[in-house]
Amino acid sequence: MSEPSIEAVHLSRRFGSFLAVDDVSFSVARGEIFGYLGANGAGKSTTIRMLCGLLAPTAGEARVAGFDVKTAPEAVKASIGYMSQKFSLYLDLPVCDNIDFFGGAYGLSGPDFAARADEVLRLCDLENEHDAITGSLPGGVRQRLALGCAILHRPAVLFLDEPTAGVDPVSRRLFWRFIRRLARDGTTIFVTTHYLDEAEYCGRIGLMVDGRLVALDTPSALKRRYVPGRVLSVHGRNLAPAAVSLRSRPGIITVEPFGAGLHLQVAAEDWNADSVAQALASAGAQAVEVESGEPTLEDVFLAVVARPREVHAP
Amino acid sequence: MTRPMRFLIRVGAMASKEVMHIRRDPRTLYMALAMPVVMLLIFGFGVSFDMDRIPLVVLDGDRSVASRSLVRAVSAGHEFVIAADSDEATALRMIRRGQALAGLAIPAGYQRELAAGRDGEIQLIVDGADGVVANQILSKIDGLVRAESLRRIDLAAEPPLQVKVFTLFNPEARSALFMVPGLAVYLLAIAAVLLTALTVSGEWERGSMEQLFASPVGRLEIVLGKLLPYLGLGMLQLLLVVAVGAMIFDVPIRGSATLLFLAGFLFLIGMLGQGLFISVVARNQLVATQAGALSSLLPSLLLSGMLVPIENMPRILQVLSSVVPARYFVHAMRGIMLKGSGLSILWGDLVALAIFALAIIALATARFRRRLA
Repeated sequence: MSEPSIEAVHLSRRFGSFLAVDDVSFSVARGEIFGYLGANGAGKSTTIRMLCGLLAPTAGEARVAGFDVKTAPEAVKASIGYMSQKFSLYLDLPVCDNIDFFGGAYGLSGPDFAARADEVLRLCDLENEHDAITGSLPGGVRQRLALGCAILHRPAVLFLDEPTAGVDPVSRRLFWRFIRRLARDGTTIFVTTHYLDEAEYCGRIGLMVDGRLVALDTPSALKRRYVPGRVLSVHGRNLAPAAVSLRSRPGIITVEPFGAGLHLQVAAEDWNADSVAQALASAGAQAVEVESGEPTLEDVFLAVVARPREVHAP
Repeated sequence: MTRPMRFLIRVGAMASKEVMHIRRDPRTLYMALAMPVVMLLIFGFGVSFDMDRIPLVVLDGDRSVASRSLVRAVSAGHEFVIAADSDEATALRMIRRGQALAGLAIPAGYQRELAAGRDGEIQLIVDGADGVVANQILSKIDGLVRAESLRRIDLAAEPPLQVKVFTLFNPEARSALFMVPGLAVYLLAIAAVLLTALTVSGEWERGSMEQLFASPVGRLEIVLGKLLPYLGLGMLQLLLVVAVGAMIFDVPIRGSATLLFLAGFLFLIGMLGQGLFISVVARNQLVATQAGALSSLLPSLLLSGMLVPIENMPRILQVLSSVVPARYFVHAMRGIMLKGSGLSILWGDLVALAIFALAIIALATARFRRRLA
């Protein structure tokens, strides 16, 4: 296998007494979509900034596209694309001027660049917005433009820092289609998000809690590991008192209210939909319907975030 | 592609983006071009130290040939106009209300005393609220009355001593000649500092600076790209201000225009660099505006020699003024425009301007790098 596109080894960053990123190690293969998940302030953006050569690590090392971020940040910058949280476009300028500027910023010029600019506009579905003032465009279109500006120079690695924040669901889905196409063509994608449904698109996911990388695997492996058993969703009347009695039974892992119903996580060997329905009915609930569901990354996230707290609790 | 080539492409991209911003936002053009001209007109016409047609109340208690002759002597020129011929109470009231700035009281018996060969005494009441005005009134009345008394001694005889004054460079002592070059410097300084102070801090606020830092665009490329378009704008501004000075205020350019624009070029780099530096440190537009205005307005106004001669300043301010680029440019502007001075006299100013320009650009670039962490 070839050298990984991104490799972080014991990477740390301290701001004064605050350890924003604490001893993080991982590697990302070429063409992989790597999702970096965590709450606000968990250290996602700080990690990205270090990998982009914007911020020097306090300790540890990182190589991006074959270059050391500490010793060759300029070479790193020339081989990556970066889309920051706010999609920092120039809103007072038209779409074409933004493209021209970012092309120039990456040292592109001449007929090759003109052809590439057209190609990117087509790729990002922006051909009709060529002369529109960027500030007048809706969030989803701006987001595609920001992506376009970040890939003009065909970067080997693309960093996306919360690329879909504040963008409508339809545009988000479209955006992810572009991202998957880029990855298929060999671009390595490193993306932070706190939309957990989006994280399902990622090949692998790293979970950050308080600056530490606490879990790292494919979405399905994470689900198997952190949400064992069966996930059931329950609807019916008079559920709350019945739920209390259920909670103490063996094999019931969690019982969470979810909308008007309940979300249950149960040991697969002890319980199934029918036995749960029976137990609830005999505890006084009426019109009980139980559906088995798939664990989501939200369940994973909650399980992972809850874990360290349980350890620290007295 | 070669390294210098890429460098030029990046600087060019930064600069042309800046030009696009300016094209999209005419307020920048207004601030750079219209504001200095409007200010120059306001200040040029408004700020004048030449006092003319000062309203004067006459309190003629004598009403004689001699007293009327004195009043005529005082009011014959363009210095004074008789606002009223009245009694003391009215005169004081008019001065208090600002309808007159001075009162000239001639006591009863003035002609009789003079005819008897004794001293004729007259009294001048001056509004002392504005010291500059009061001083001018005093010296003007003094001169006019002195001439009148000489005339009385002997109508034919020449006074024994006479000073013949030749004022070089500004023989009519016009304020405009003195003010316009200084004003031009002052206005250029403010506009230049504010232009760059706002544009770089704007990038920080927008978040686009982080985007730029993530690209291969270097700090020097950003600084130069930001500097060049505004330098062009600044030179246009200088041309405009000098043209307005020449056409409307008759301010000549007796020396070399090339030298003037060379000095202006160096001065503008310094001022734009100062704006860049502020912008790099402040990172937000509000702070940058305040710091930009303060750091350009006050020193250029007070420490440049534009209003107050540097020789009259306390020692500490003189030392302080030596790091204010406006000081050298004011000196160079006045030298070139009014005296026709050449490089042999002004080289020191040019060197000082060049040193400041280089130092501030280097400082701004260095601070840029440090901020990246």
